[in-house]
Amino acid sequence: MTEMAPNEMAPTDLALRVRGVSKAFGAPVLSGLDLDVAAGSLVALLGPSGCGKTTLLRLVAGFERSDAGTIEVGGQLVSGPGRHVVPERRRVGIVPQEGALFPHLSVHDNVAFGLARGERRGTRPDEVLELVGLAGLGRRMPHELSGGQQQRVALARALAPKPSLVLLDEPFSALDAGLRATVRAEVRASLRAAGASAVLVTHDQQEALSVADVVAVVRDGRVVQAADPWSVYAQPADLGVATFVGETIVLPGHAADGAVTSPLGALTTESTAYGDVAVVVRPEQLEFEPADLPSVAAVVSHREFYGHDALLRLDLGGGVSATARTPGHPLPEIGATVKVGVRGPVVVFPVA
Amino acid sequence: MTQVLDAPARVGTPHPGRRRALLQRVGLGPSGSSRPPLVLLVPAVVTAGVALLPLVYLVVRAFEEGLGVVGDVLLRERTARLLLRSLALASSVTLACLVIGVGLAWLTTRSDLPGRRTWAVVAALPLAVPTYVAAFAWISFLPELAGPVGAFVVLTACSYPYVLLPVAATLRRLDPAGEEVARSLGLSPWQAFRRATLPQLRPAMAAGGLLVALYALSDFGAVSIMRFDAFTRVIYTSYRSSFDRTPAAVLGLLLVAVTVVLVWFEGRSRGRASYSRVGSGGARAQTTVRLGLLRLPAVLLTTGLAGLSLGVPVAALVYWSAVGDRGQVDLPALLSAAGTSVGFAFLGALVTTLLAVPVGVLAARRSGRLPQLLERAAWVGHALPGIVVAFSLVFLAVRYAYPLYQRTPVLVLAYVVLFLPLAVGAVRASAAQSPPALEEVARAAGARPLEVLRRVTLPLAAPGIGAGAVLVFLTCMKELPATLLLQPLGSATLATQMWTATGVAAYSAAAPYAAALVLLSALPTYLLGVRTGALDRTPEVSP
Amino acid sequence: MNRTSRRLLAGLATAALLATAACGSDDEPGEGASGSDALIVYSGRNETLIAPLIEQFTKATGIEVTPRYGGSAELAAQLLEEGDRTPADVFLSQDAGALGALEEAGGLETLPQTTLDRVPAKYRSAEGAWVGTSGRSRVLVYNPDLVPAASLPKSVFDLTGPAYKGKVGYAPTNASFQAFVTGMRVSAGEERTREFLTAFQANEPQSFEGNVAVLEAVDAGTIPFGLINHYYLYERAAEAGGLDQVTARNYLFPGTDPGSLVNVAGVGILDGKGSTDAQAFVDFLVSEQGQTFFAEQTKEYPLVAGVPVELEGLPPLEQLGGPDVDLSQLESLDETLALLDEVGLT
Repeated sequence: MTEMAPNEMAPTDLALRVRGVSKAFGAPVLSGLDLDVAAGSLVALLGPSGCGKTTLLRLVAGFERSDAGTIEVGGQLVSGPGRHVVPERRRVGIVPQEGALFPHLSVHDNVAFGLARGERRGTRPDEVLELVGLAGLGRRMPHELSGGQQQRVALARALAPKPSLVLLDEPFSALDAGLRATVRAEVRASLRAAGASAVLVTHDQQEALSVADVVAVVRDGRVVQAADPWSVYAQPADLGVATFVGETIVLPGHAADGAVTSPLGALTTESTAYGDVAVVVRPEQLEFEPADLPSVAAVVSHREFYGHDALLRLDLGGGVSATARTPGHPLPEIGATVKVGVRGPVVVFPVA
Repeated sequence: MTQVLDAPARVGTPHPGRRRALLQRVGLGPSGSSRPPLVLLVPAVVTAGVALLPLVYLVVRAFEEGLGVVGDVLLRERTARLLLRSLALASSVTLACLVIGVGLAWLTTRSDLPGRRTWAVVAALPLAVPTYVAAFAWISFLPELAGPVGAFVVLTACSYPYVLLPVAATLRRLDPAGEEVARSLGLSPWQAFRRATLPQLRPAMAAGGLLVALYALSDFGAVSIMRFDAFTRVIYTSYRSSFDRTPAAVLGLLLVAVTVVLVWFEGRSRGRASYSRVGSGGARAQTTVRLGLLRLPAVLLTTGLAGLSLGVPVAALVYWSAVGDRGQVDLPALLSAAGTSVGFAFLGALVTTLLAVPVGVLAARRSGRLPQLLERAAWVGHALPGIVVAFSLVFLAVRYAYPLYQRTPVLVLAYVVLFLPLAVGAVRASAAQSPPALEEVARAAGARPLEVLRRVTLPLAAPGIGAGAVLVFLTCMKELPATLLLQPLGSATLATQMWTATGVAAYSAAAPYAAALVLLSALPTYLLGVRTGALDRTPEVSP
Repeated sequence: MNRTSRRLLAGLATAALLATAACGSDDEPGEGASGSDALIVYSGRNETLIAPLIEQFTKATGIEVTPRYGGSAELAAQLLEEGDRTPADVFLSQDAGALGALEEAGGLETLPQTTLDRVPAKYRSAEGAWVGTSGRSRVLVYNPDLVPAASLPKSVFDLTGPAYKGKVGYAPTNASFQAFVTGMRVSAGEERTREFLTAFQANEPQSFEGNVAVLEAVDAGTIPFGLINHYYLYERAAEAGGLDQVTARNYLFPGTDPGSLVNVAGVGILDGKGSTDAQAFVDFLVSEQGQTFFAEQTKEYPLVAGVPVELEGLPPLEQLGGPDVDLSQLESLDETLALLDEVGLT
């Protein structure tokens, strides 16, 4: 795949550069959003419904015009004051939510759709189909494929003209849970194999964390944090990011010089915060009856069994409670008192 | 539409906000979606301009004698009375057509009515029967029917397919899940239909109902033969009597005003909901409702309706041919008239459909005011009696296109003006069905707007566009007043030949022409039935 | 699907090309609508009734005629819209009103006196813009089996009497019935006409969709009387093989009774189109040959003296009565229709 354009660029090259983009539909949707996508990387735009992530995607594709700001695709200015490059000139491939395959065209013709007339009969469509693991299905019609296959054809169609950037708009949300993980992995692999740069829009934090090189958390029309998945999870930029990305236990506490007092006892933090704080504990940091950790007593007030693990609701006294994940066996009874400790440093945010 | 004014200030030209707001207000600017491509906008504006041609003439003629005359004509007691009378006729016909159209559509798509595929085609056939033929047929069997009842019966029998066809197409396409959910929530089958399905049929019913209403308003054939003093008769007689074209033009403008109001209502009832199906696969096959004990009554009802709308005219044709003593059928003349009819109607359908495509696609895809205005402009000619449109084109062609006057192009133009909404409606409906995401994907894949139109939008909408073209073809075939005035010298169509024969009460001589007209129209009607069915055929899934 | 639509498009395009090519060649050679050499005749008279005579004309003179058929009033309105750019040379009208309207607008040439003089002054334009070609009279058609000839009414006004209650058939939407009412309005006045129509309506006349249907009903004895034009009886007789095969008979109200209005079909030459060909056509219509055609084929009254006509039971043309009205003034149909509408005769 060395012929792929993104690979020929220097690693520092950006496949997408968004600066200060604003867009309003009556109410503002995007307000001064910045985003960088490095060539060859997959960036997940993560945010709740209505945060503006799909709008950003449509602005990048050229289906909408921004009110302010600039957008560069592959180093070319495609949107800015007095400039709006039409979608077909942007070299941006898109994979819409439901695939949106052309129902009147075969799989092969769908994939060949964006190719120049001469290339449509060439080897490229089959090449891309093979890349997405669907070799030999070119003569099928879209309705003859499963949902996951349709989604991969949609990706193949987007990849075929070797775009500078591929935009994926919640492409897995229509698939059932079992299929989703598989298709996600296949799509990720295909994108990597093609060396393509991509932006994935999703509201599913698991999806974002598991496939993206960079997770960009969008809130209120801005990117509030953009970093590798581990950093976003372990070092969230604010309490909002912390609670949105991954499960959290948020407790009131008091911090001073790296030490935190909280209903879960004395904890450590890498933060330099001082005074009243919100303490963010990840469920997997909780340990029951720990031998080597300070612990506090808690009463099990509620439990939900999931097989491989279980959720326990713990009453920590003083009206404070926390939800903890624990291995499914052994499981304490409701009303039982257990000892709980926290492993590792916690994240704290000053309370205004 | 003021969001742009609130948007953050941009650098650049001094008043970009105001200019964009203005562009946006007329549908040119980006409003929710990108700007309508010029390849659609320019031809759509041309089409709307063509549709508005009669207005030029009507305004010139109406106001040439001053505002006083306009006022006199409008304030005449007879004008108001006949307008009300015609509106009453149009609304009762529309109501009846809605009931019959929706009922038959349901029976032929959702019930286990025996032979429902055949019925789906037969039920569309009355479109091929000109109202003047049907009216002659009815009155020759039942002279006492003359009057409002006769006009009502004939117009209803001839125009209910305008409701039936779009409603049946929508019914076939609807996801049955909605009705199933309603049933599971405790609704009876009828309640489920009324509350879950009927609201989704509303756009189709509104569009079909509008066609029926305007058809009933502008028809002259049925009301004149049924001796129902309708508004169109005032227009005709003001040409016929005083040879003063001003009153006719004023009344024509009044009819245009009524049309604008009706079209506005239709637009409102269409609502803002998006009716393109959400989902990637095809809709599930429709469940069939067992009629059970109601099966026989349903068969009788359907047969009865077919008998009334088709049987009566056909029986009259057979009867007239049988009692005929005015000599043999002039076969060469018949064939030549048939050829001419088909030729004119084909050209009319082709040009009308081509012009309708940009307007229909724009209307389906853009919500701005300009696309809406363009679409509504297409309706103006439809409510005008054919003779008014014909005189408009006489007026304009003699002045500005003399070499084309009384040649095929001007006649075809008259068909375009008269029947544009039939094609625009079909194009809009079928273009609206395909999800806009398909076109966006195509743009992103590097296709220019014209290419998107050619490679995605049109192929997907082809069945619907074809259906619209057939509808125009049928209507052109039976058109009489404009054809008489504008057809090339020396040519004769089936409709004009039939008019000639009935003019001397030679019904037996008229019969072969009428029969040829109905037969030649039956084939495209059959295709139309199959097409609207084929449009929604569930795809066969290979194992 | 893809292939189908492509084929469909290709087919449509081909057909469009063919059709365009065809419509380029289906007219006479020459530029524009009036480019042909043939004489262009706008005929408000039905093709069935006039085409054979046009053929005779072409055979006799070698002049080709291209007709456009339509309603007389519609064609007159079309001619008015076309103005001096009309392709038409000659206008043949079913009634004098349409010719009168064109004359008033200055749309007709003045005909030579020799042509005009062929026809009595009553049946041609006073200014010489058009000439009548054939005449027709309104009659009371009756069934002698039901009504003895001696008891027939003296005037159309008598039909409002109790003896005629429910016994008169008429065709209210027919142009000639409306012309009869107009004639009454012009000759007897609005008030008298309104009174008549109101009483006529109250007398429960039976309406039919056309004159032929009225005649059929009278002939069959379903109804004793009918108000129609004279020639329907003779056309029916010709079809049936003689008048003795038909029961119904015509009756003319004596004197200047409005019930016996005589109207004419006529012809005029469009302004600026006074070619010898057009003149030849008009002259042919009022020639012996043309007049004989009308007398024999359409059972109308020839308007030229000396042309024989066989209309059993009817007096010759010069003895016809009817109201004394200017035929070109029979165009005030609007008022007539308003009046008919007012009294409910529709």
